[in-house]
Amino acid sequence: MNGINALLVKIGRSVGGVVGTLFQAGRETVDTVIRNVIPFMAFISFIIGLVLTTGIGDWIANGIKGFADSLVGLLIVSVVCAIPVLSPLLGPGAVIAQIVGTLLGVEIGKGNIPPQLALPALFAINPQVGCDFIPVGLALGEAEPETVEIGVPAVLFSRLVTGPLSVVIAYFASFGLYSSN
Amino acid sequence: MKKLIGLEEAVVGDPTGLWGSFADGAEYFIGIFQEGGAVLLSLMGGILPTLVVLLTAVNALVRLIGPEKIENLGKKAAQPGLQWYPVRYMVLPFLAVFFLTNPMAYTMGRFLPEKYKPAFYDSAVSYVHPITGIFPHANPGELFVYLGIAAGITTLGYGLGDLALRYLLVGLVVIFIRGILTEIITTRMMARKGASA
Repeated sequence: MNGINALLVKIGRSVGGVVGTLFQAGRETVDTVIRNVIPFMAFISFIIGLVLTTGIGDWIANGIKGFADSLVGLLIVSVVCAIPVLSPLLGPGAVIAQIVGTLLGVEIGKGNIPPQLALPALFAINPQVGCDFIPVGLALGEAEPETVEIGVPAVLFSRLVTGPLSVVIAYFASFGLYSSN
Repeated sequence: MKKLIGLEEAVVGDPTGLWGSFADGAEYFIGIFQEGGAVLLSLMGGILPTLVVLLTAVNALVRLIGPEKIENLGKKAAQPGLQWYPVRYMVLPFLAVFFLTNPMAYTMGRFLPEKYKPAFYDSAVSYVHPITGIFPHANPGELFVYLGIAAGITTLGYGLGDLALRYLLVGLVVIFIRGILTEIITTRMMARKGASA
């Protein structure tokens, strides 16, 4: 009898544990979605609405078109985003990258930018990723202050090379992407 | 209904003159937000439900496995030697971003010696967007770097799997190169500073 009881308790505990974990995961998800995802969707929707309805869209399209529809243009974008003084300013919350990404998406949808450039574009708009966050990120990794002092310029200068390089790699990796039509 | 109130033949003309242009302006103004609202609805109805379910599943998986499991890998990645480069700047950042997500992924740097920390940070932070194409749970606050561009591909009627997978893989190659280069720059700068001090 004791054996059966122990078994039942064990089953109950493990099932409860799994269900609890799933529920907790759901709660965490809804939390994130409400606090981080939906506010950004609202903001992005406003920008898309503005771009599609007003003349701003055409104006931006003309501006972006010269840059985003060729490898050279994308390289220029990536170099600008990777300039060590600019990159920490462009970084916070990836807001700039997300807005530019959304604008490029609209232009790709309209056919102004060839779809196979989507992959290199993803890298071209983002060489500044995390450049605003280096001291905090290093502190999370329990780095010494001396390491932070060296780490900040090291990462920023490295981006100047790896930013454009990532665009080139992505460009060659995008062969055969959406080009069968 | 129309017959009832005798308005069968009534035609309302567009407002003209000054008042008409005000009315046009108002319509234009509200049109911006109606368009935005339509976009918001398509986002909420399109990707949001999938995202919620996916996030829940992966969050549960991470909890069941236990993020502390990858700490052992962090300790191993701290070793010098060529064969540990891919572990330190590809496998570890991937697993750290997948299991710990942005920004807790960077805490994995604490297992590495000081000279590798900036390179690991560079490598890990550069992966928080490429991973979102397939695993959006890793960085749900910054999805639109990928989703923004992906929306254009969807508009054209193509599938996103190919783009998401290539983004993920090219991202791995890029963070590997980034890690190595930043490590070289860091060690050079540290040596120079050590010599001058």
